[in-house]
Amino acid sequence: MKSVTRTTETQVLAEGEWLSVTQVCRASQIDAAVVIELAELGLVRHRGDEPREWQLSVSELSRLRTAARLIRDLGVNVSGAALAVELLEARRELESRLRALERCVDLSARGE
Amino acid sequence: MEFRDYYQTLGVTRTASADEIKKVYRRLARKYHPDVSKEPNAEAKFKEVQEAYEVLRDPEKRAAYDQLGNEMKSGQEFRPPPDWDRGFEFRGRPRERAAPEMDAQFSDFFSSLFGGAGAFSHPGEGRARGGRDHHARVDIDLEEAYRGGVRTLELRRPQAKSGGGVDIATHAVKVTIPPGLTDGQQLRLSGQGESGQSEGRAGDLYLEVHIRPHELYHLDGRDVMVTLPLAPWEAALGATVTVPTLGGPVQMRIPEKSRAGQKLRLRGRGLPGDPPGDEYLQLSIALPPADSPKARAFYEQMHRELDFDPRAHLGS
Repeated sequence: MKSVTRTTETQVLAEGEWLSVTQVCRASQIDAAVVIELAELGLVRHRGDEPREWQLSVSELSRLRTAARLIRDLGVNVSGAALAVELLEARRELESRLRALERCVDLSARGE
Repeated sequence: MEFRDYYQTLGVTRTASADEIKKVYRRLARKYHPDVSKEPNAEAKFKEVQEAYEVLRDPEKRAAYDQLGNEMKSGQEFRPPPDWDRGFEFRGRPRERAAPEMDAQFSDFFSSLFGGAGAFSHPGEGRARGGRDHHARVDIDLEEAYRGGVRTLELRRPQAKSGGGVDIATHAVKVTIPPGLTDGQQLRLSGQGESGQSEGRAGDLYLEVHIRPHELYHLDGRDVMVTLPLAPWEAALGATVTVPTLGGPVQMRIPEKSRAGQKLRLRGRGLPGDPPGDEYLQLSIALPPADSPKARAFYEQMHRELDFDPRAHLGS
């Protein structure tokens, strides 16, 4: 087992940036047809005319990848994965708010 | 190396049909999928299940695995017999992989039998080919998202040996975390993905940043929320209190007649950026405990002297 350290430029993909379908497929190892279908379902914002020429918003790359993992690992179809991703996000948001509220109640109850 | 009983992992008998195995896999995958599951150790369980399915779903691999012996038990010391895979064709064949990202993470037991390279090695391709892009997830604390920093990531990556086997090489990559990253943001490290072959260009490494939940702050984009408890007199009369921010404690003026649930804003005290996020303080009112005769007397006096009905809006 050999070990080397390499230093490299880190590039932040900012929220306003767009990637081509090809770039997204390369980055996420997802089939272009699946990427296009997920974009058509509104899971990721896109711009451009022809689907193959679309540009996709970087902000939603993580949704796209979660959907791709669900399709691959659970055998759900594209609409099912899109639905699951949206529900998972809603659940995470609610849990986070619930935690904040619980802390609020907890603090009042302890009289601190 | 320990023997792994893949049938036991999936909870099926050695005579289970391909269809049965698939059904059980689907059920377990849904239960333990790291994106979905709330089970403790979901990720580790999911990998075990995937590894077992990877072998048992493929008739050739399953047959090869079966002939290792029915006597072996999970956890038993194990060495693959020489030429154990003679007559089977899976070695060196580019495999259809269920999960390229997870390839490097199958057990030593799996790698010793089937090789660990999977989608990352492509034996027999002589022509120049660009390396693939790789993905990793990096978890950072909110403090690190605020200040930025340098992270050294250990990346394990299978590499084809000249003799045909597979080596796991580790690379340490230094990653600069710029201040002000938000949850789910992507970083690209050029040329840090899979090495290109011959003259092919190396792929990129994409990192998805996740910010761990914080004890104090609740994050919403670049904004942070904190619950700020006040004594009843601070809320009623106004006060100057010390509040925590990511950049350190600051003094803040609480206006008189503040109510529980109200939100106060500290502009620009969230995560840095253009524009930077704000900090919101959600007020809560904490009651002093009535745990001494003096405190009780105080509450009794308030009861007598204040005309206060907290349930006025409920009607009578």
